[in-house]
Amino acid sequence: MTKHETDFRNGVATPEVSRRAFIITAAAAGGGMVLGISSATEAQATNTTGYPGVQTKAPEFTNHISITPDNKVIVRATKMEIGNGVLTSIAMIATEELGCDWSTVSAEYVLPSRNLAENNVYSKTGVLAYFAGRSTGKEMMDQMLQAGASARERLKAAAAQKWNVPAGEIKAEKSMLIHEASGKKATYGEMAEAAAAVKLDKEPAPKPHSQWTFLTKTSQKRLNLPLILDGSAKYGIDIQVPGMVYATVRHVPSHGGRLKSYNFEAIKAMPGVRAVVVIDPDEKRAGLPGNAVAPMGFSATTNGPQAAVAVIADHYWQAKVALDLLPIEWDPGEGKQWTNTAKVYETIAAAAKDAGKGNIIRQIGDVDAALKDGKKVEAEFMTPYNDHFLMEPLNGTALVTADKVEVWVPTQHPQQAMYVTADETGVPPEKVTVYPTYVGMGCGRRIYGDDVRTVVAIAKKVQGTPVKVIWTREEMTRQGRYRDLAAASFTATLGPDGMPKAVDINQAATRSSGRNLSDTPYATNIPNFRVRTKVFNTNLMTGPFRGPMYTSNLFFLETFINQLAETAKIDAVEYRRKLLANYPDPGWVKVLDEVAQKANWGQSLPKGTAQGVAIGNWAMANTKEGAPVPNTGSTVAAIVMVEVSRRGQVSIPRVDIAMDLGTVMNQEGVRAQMEGGVIMGLSAGLLEEININNGAVVEGNLDTYRVLRQNDPLLPQEIHVHFGGNTNHERLSEAGEPPMGPPPAAFAHAYFKATGKWLTRQPLTKYMA
Amino acid sequence: MAFELKINGKQVSVDADPQTPLLWVLRDHLQMTGTKYGCGINQCGACTVTIDGQAARSCNIPAAQAVGRTIVTIEGLSPDRTHAVQKAWAELDVPQCGYCQAGQMMAAVGLLARNPNPTDADIDQAMNNLCRCGTYVRIRAAVKRAAELV
Repeated sequence: MTKHETDFRNGVATPEVSRRAFIITAAAAGGGMVLGISSATEAQATNTTGYPGVQTKAPEFTNHISITPDNKVIVRATKMEIGNGVLTSIAMIATEELGCDWSTVSAEYVLPSRNLAENNVYSKTGVLAYFAGRSTGKEMMDQMLQAGASARERLKAAAAQKWNVPAGEIKAEKSMLIHEASGKKATYGEMAEAAAAVKLDKEPAPKPHSQWTFLTKTSQKRLNLPLILDGSAKYGIDIQVPGMVYATVRHVPSHGGRLKSYNFEAIKAMPGVRAVVVIDPDEKRAGLPGNAVAPMGFSATTNGPQAAVAVIADHYWQAKVALDLLPIEWDPGEGKQWTNTAKVYETIAAAAKDAGKGNIIRQIGDVDAALKDGKKVEAEFMTPYNDHFLMEPLNGTALVTADKVEVWVPTQHPQQAMYVTADETGVPPEKVTVYPTYVGMGCGRRIYGDDVRTVVAIAKKVQGTPVKVIWTREEMTRQGRYRDLAAASFTATLGPDGMPKAVDINQAATRSSGRNLSDTPYATNIPNFRVRTKVFNTNLMTGPFRGPMYTSNLFFLETFINQLAETAKIDAVEYRRKLLANYPDPGWVKVLDEVAQKANWGQSLPKGTAQGVAIGNWAMANTKEGAPVPNTGSTVAAIVMVEVSRRGQVSIPRVDIAMDLGTVMNQEGVRAQMEGGVIMGLSAGLLEEININNGAVVEGNLDTYRVLRQNDPLLPQEIHVHFGGNTNHERLSEAGEPPMGPPPAAFAHAYFKATGKWLTRQPLTKYMA
Repeated sequence: MAFELKINGKQVSVDADPQTPLLWVLRDHLQMTGTKYGCGINQCGACTVTIDGQAARSCNIPAAQAVGRTIVTIEGLSPDRTHAVQKAWAELDVPQCGYCQAGQMMAAVGLLARNPNPTDADIDQAMNNLCRCGTYVRIRAAVKRAAELV
């Protein structure tokens, strides 16, 4: 079966490739000011590589900051730009303390190999240090504020020495060092080289948040905006390495299955075809040396090797055409028991109903006793597998030699990518260089490094030749790490006041998580409350989907709360205010009040038009008992207006969303995340479903997988983002995942009010009348 | 087999199978990677360029069909990001991850060429490119802004 693997008939030469040898194809981007773009983005636009994965040589102050002699500031970050603006956020944080002119700032990645060589100095905070989110988390804030302050004080000290004046008399602002008494002035760049060598007796303390003048006071556009505008931003798929060949890959359609056979002879003579290579999951992997640990771990169902066949050719299109014609036989393995989606749904629904056998993750009072009397409300819910459907197909480029590996990849976690590469190739981590690129969205799909494993597993078969591997859209959709499949069965009894006496929740899902079920603040005002969970899996692999289990659990809980409110004939916003009356985090009610007021909740609407509401939090902390910790995470509430025409045509005239992130650092950045999260959340909840057929995924491309688009009748016509719910608590919480949660439940509520029908299964459109 | 294409005002020679989709000729043979691969089946619009002024999805057009015609890609929209569509996109801060935006902008260019004052309905019809980040509301506003700037 593997005899053709080394049949590299064109005898590709082994080029010496280094990162300096990159072919730079970007159109000339720099040169002068550009109309229509704030000058804030000029520094980044002059980076001619088109991506931040190559380090500029310049005097280095701290691990995170360099300043060039021509007065450009380079901020180095461990977080990859996946569209959420993290690279811009991190540069902003350093700018606050550095006191530099924002228009001189650009950002680069800190390669994980550098971190390793410097004894993990950049990832002392753990597995999230290299995760492409949470740029405003406390650890990252503290690190970057300190970096800015430390660099600033060095600049002052260098100027003080040169001018022979006390450092305390020097002002540092807008990239200028100024000593007013003597009239001396210098740019940061002029003082950079001397300053970088300064040793301070003591590192300065960053100022209190209340004294910030840049963060929270201004909004900035993303640094890489100019590169996007002219097509010069380099994503992984755009990387060119001299001597590179192309591959495309097919993994076993039934996840976990095996390759039986393939026939290279059928495609061997096709134009450009060089080889077929096989990925064998049963071949022993190298593991990691010594104490090395992959931050996201290794496991068979996240990033373990999958059976696959790849065609290598001179060009991508040749490889793709040949792979389509390559006869391949697969053994579906255990997956074949999942003959169709209906069987999967029946099984998981039964698991959710199977009360008493689940793992109790939260228990208050005596639920069984309290369920015996009172008005009973019952409901069953389900959310299907969804694919991330990221715009940039999975891809990566790798050059493997006997003692060294280089990988260029759009990843959410390059440190994980480095360790996966070491495991797959047997080359030790310190000889692996991962160059992260811009990323055509992440959402959790590019975190495990399964894509990187496939890329290097192919490249290691053609050592010495760089290979760019590109998944077809169909392949990417069928080899997802899908949103978790989940089902839940809810029972409640209401007291005479209409409020819940008892709520009993039994949930089954492909991942064990009670977020937004067991940790709901509502439980502070529900005397009897219990959540039990079970794990159920098919052969399909799952992963984080912009908030693991968040979009499922929150849909279940919030739809049920709306059902209780409607049953009790109490306004759903008021019902939540009552449930939250004992909860000490004021953000929840503040966010509800803000969105209700701004959306004109309760307004009189024509027949067939209604508003629905939902609220949730990602990713608040829990106590040991599973209770929520007040003033943590990001609380988001949405009101969705639904219009159902007489002919049954459904549309969404307006969505209002409000949030409490504590403090908002970059308002326009948050607004963009909120708008996008509403769209992606509604798309997932209303439209998307991955189906299974004998263990294999049915959907492959946009002809079968519906994703919200500009011309979709369900695209919200207006999205209004409101900031008045923020409590100004000292935390600066995240904005990417939170808006994904509430919109589908708010939609289902509005749809009920417009039609009298509850939608309890996603995708919601499938169950509309 | 070698053939010539006129791209962004320049004649370029390409040595490729003329049945190769224009998208892959641009990306692999000419290293013009601003035009993106998204779906490969004429649906998502990430690969949009203009051919003789009209928006066209390059994943679905054999390069041979583009011979003798005027092709414009994102790289050729303006030398300095000052095309009305680029200015509008910057002003409204449209992109998030940015991957689809070259296609979105080229679709807008094609739309505005034949309809200088598009309505919401016109925009929704012509701009049905996929954006997974969900920038649609801004895209619609940016097309209108570009119409003012032209």
